[in-house]
Order: sequence, then structure tokens, then C-alpha cells
Amino acid sequence: MAESTAKPGAVPDEAGRRDFLRILAMAGGAVGAASVVWPLIDALNPGAAGEAQARPVITVSDIPENSAKKIYWAGMPVLIRRLTDQQIADAEVVAMTDLPDPAELSARVAPGNGHFVVVVGLNTGIPCELEGNSPSGPHGHYDGWICPCDGSQYDVLGRVRSGPAKRNLPIPRFAFIDDAQIQLG
Amino acid sequence: MQTEAKQGWLAARVPGLGCVCGVMREGRAPGAPWLAALPVLLGALLALLLASGAVISVYYNPWHAYASLQGIAREVRGGWVVLGYHQTGASLIFALLYLHLFRLLLVRGYRAPAEFAWMLWVKLLAVLLLTGWLGFVLNGGAGGYASLFGASNAAMGLAGFPGAVAMWFLGAAPGGATLARLLVFHVLLALCAGWVIWMACAAARKARPAPRGRVVPFWPVYASQYFAALAALALVFSVLLGFAPHWGQGAQNTIPAGTMAMPVVSWPWYLTPLAGLAGAFPGVLGHVWAVIVAVALLYALPWLDRSKGAAPGRVYAALTWLLGLDVLALGYVTAFPMGGLLPELLTFWFFFHFLVLTPLVTMMEAA
Repeated sequence: MAESTAKPGAVPDEAGRRDFLRILAMAGGAVGAASVVWPLIDALNPGAAGEAQARPVITVSDIPENSAKKIYWAGMPVLIRRLTDQQIADAEVVAMTDLPDPAELSARVAPGNGHFVVVVGLNTGIPCELEGNSPSGPHGHYDGWICPCDGSQYDVLGRVRSGPAKRNLPIPRFAFIDDAQIQLG
Repeated sequence: MQTEAKQGWLAARVPGLGCVCGVMREGRAPGAPWLAALPVLLGALLALLLASGAVISVYYNPWHAYASLQGIAREVRGGWVVLGYHQTGASLIFALLYLHLFRLLLVRGYRAPAEFAWMLWVKLLAVLLLTGWLGFVLNGGAGGYASLFGASNAAMGLAGFPGAVAMWFLGAAPGGATLARLLVFHVLLALCAGWVIWMACAAARKARPAPRGRVVPFWPVYASQYFAALAALALVFSVLLGFAPHWGQGAQNTIPAGTMAMPVVSWPWYLTPLAGLAGAFPGVLGHVWAVIVAVALLYALPWLDRSKGAAPGRVYAALTWLLGLDVLALGYVTAFPMGGLLPELLTFWFFFHFLVLTPLVTMMEAA
């Protein structure tokens, strides 16, 4: 553009100044337009309340051994269980051939803290909330969870062991943010 | 591909788009006044209003209008800026449109062959006034609620076809169902306003005389003038947004609507002249006819002007300035009522100017 607007006989100095002014004007315009549009785009991000709901932080240090804590996240019951050393040792020796949906111990426990299992507490057969969060209540033959609707049984790692259900309990996306808390989402 | 080739390729397939490229490349007479950039600024403000309105509509809830706007201002990230864009943008688009119409009156830009462009600018005023009233009501504040209550009460009193149309438009007693449909009309009319601006610019371009003598290219000479005008507008906009985001909005609209808090209507400033003009006539039908006749007179101005192309005279120019002051004063006495017959007098002058003075003075000056 500078070539066409500058006069053929113009000194190069003037052409350079004109280029500079043009770049300055375009850069100023771009910065202005971006700063006008930025609030409009940013307003579509979730607000503080929505973000806290979408990514809740849960304290897990208060869960007793062999018990599970139930919280609701995005309308789903999420179960967080603390395993005993004995349960971990027992789970390690279960043969994969005995499992309807084979999964290793390392694939079921929380990465970074092998004493915790985090699963979605809905039966994978008939959708029903599972029982077995406290050691005193009903929890099936495998020490874990049992479905009150179709009788499917799960072990402490959330792997299906018997019943109409054929798949293990799904594991939600989560991360330990320190030794005592996890964040979902 | 060369620009000409691109333009030809586009124009052969989409005539409208080829016209856009044509505007960019056409030559014009040098030295247009700064106020000739007003249509571009109107378009830019409307684009900002549509963008901020799209964001607001994500969170706006007509069934809890006031509370949802409070939520946008307090909980949505930067929501107060987006609301400020919408309020300041509405104020400025009216200010610039009034200024544009006043300038066209002063330079007699409504005469042939530009009369169709003038009629489209008047149509834009009508569309924006209705859109602005809907936006004022959609706030869910007590002032807007009082206005809507008056309108729907009047609608229920109308008989026959006008009553049926009014009921269809307003949906019985004011509430969530009414605001939900008014929201749809608000959005549709705002989109229509964009189309009217487009048409008016196209008509004005067609009516512009071919440049004689020296010709400058639109790009970059005129484009840079428009960019500079936009920068000046942005400066005014940011001062208003930062220091007076609620200027001219009416204090009654800052308290929530409710039957226990139904004060008098407090209009936003851009509706005050029209509200004063309508209020000078008795009865619902009086208000409605006053508005219709006022807009119709503006439409008819190309034929009320009897100058037949003669150069503008001094008396007409003085009368046009007087009309501008008259409209400003009408808005002022509506916003700050002081009793007496002043509103009626100012309204009389508005109609007198168009119906009697304009034909008379233009004919005498042309003779």
C-alpha cells in the first residue's frame, strides 16, 4: 500500500515515516479492538460459583479405613474409599481370569496415593446407587459394594465380581491437590 | 489473485458483496465533513450493541429480569462491562442518530434524489425508538415496569383489531411471559436496525453526485477519516463507560419492579422528547396518534419542502436550529416536569414547524 500511495519521486525518508505511521495506527487499532472484544469473550467463561461447582475440592483425610465417603458431583454419586493394607494385599493376588472385566490394581487405585479408590457409585447394570460405604452395612461377598436393585457385587476396587452388571465402576477425572484433598473435574 | 479479479469473481456470484468491494475502491470528491462519518459510527455502535446483547442474552432471564441483570453485573466475569457497553452504546447510538437527522435537516439532505435515504434514516429512528423502549422495559426496574403496566392496561382497553394486535404484542398483564416475548421483539428489531442502516447507506451512496474535478480513493483517504472518527467515538464512549455508565437511565429503574413499588415512569433520556410529545395529547389513542403523525411528518418532509432544489436560505436554517432546541426542551421538561403548558407549547411548535413553517418558508425562499 505504501508503494502505491507514496509519490514516485518521494524521498525514502518520507516513505519510511509513512510506513511507521501506518504500522502505528494499525497496531493501535488492533489493541483497541482487542480490548473492546476481550470482556465480551471473557464474560462467557464460567463465573466463580460455576467453577467451584464444576471442580469441587473434597477433603479425604477424614475418611476412616475401609469406609467410603459419598458426594454428589454433576448429579452423580461419587464414592471415595480408603483401603486397608490387608485389602490392597488381597486385591493383588486376585487372578485376572476370575474377573468379568479384568483390571489391574494399579489401574483402579488413585495415582499418587494407592490407599484411595474414587469411583462413580452407580451400578453399571440397572442404574442404581450402590450400598456398602460403611463396614457395618451390607456390602456383598467381596468387601466392596452391592447393588440393592439387581444384586450385582463389586470389590473394594470397584471391579464387578458377580451379578447382571458386566463392567467395572467408571473412574471420574480427579487429582490430589495435597495429601488431604482431591479435586474433581 | 488481483483485487479487481476478486471483486469481479465475487460480484458475478454475490452482487451485494461485490458492492462492498466497490465502495472500498470507488473515488470520491475530497474534503467531506467529519459529520459525514456518522452512518459508519452508527453501524459500529449497532455492532457493539448486538455483540454485547448476545452475551447478555446468555444470562438474561425474562422471568426474573431484575435479579438476572443483578447477577450479570455481580457474578458474571466482567459482566458489568458488558452491561455498560449495552447502556452506553444505546445512549450514544441515539445521540448520534439525533445528530445525524439534525444535520440532514440543516443541509437539506432529505431532498431528491436522497429522499429515499432520508426515509430510511427516519425508519431507523422509528425502529430504534421501539427497540430502546423494549430494552428500557426489559431492565425489570420499577420505571420500566410502570411504563409497561400503562401500555398493557391501555392495550386491554382497546377494542377490535388494534386491541387484538396489542394483546398479541404485549401478552396480557406484565410479567415473565410479556418480557419473554418483548425480548424476542427487542432482538428482531435490533437486527432490522442493522438492515436499515445498510439500506440507508446504499441509498445515500446512490444519491451522491458523481465527483467532478479532483478525485481521491476511498482507501486510504476516506477510510482513515472514518478510523479517526471511530477513535474519537471510542474516547467519548470510554469516558461515559468509566465515569457515567448509568447516565440518563432514570433513577426509578434502579429499584426492582413490583406492584408495591410503582412510581411514575422515568424515561431514559433518548425517549423523553417522544414521551413529552405523546403526553401532550389526551387518551391512549391520542398518545399513539401523536407518535404516528410525528414520524409520518418526518417521512413526508421531502414533499413538505417546497424549495424545488433552490439553495438553503437563512430563515429556514434558523428555524431548523429552533426546532432542534424545541426537541431538546421537550425532552428536558419531560424529564424534569415543571407544570404549566410548556410541553403542549413545545409540541405545538414541533407540528407547526413541519406543517406550516416548512412549506411556507421554503417556498418564499425559493421564490
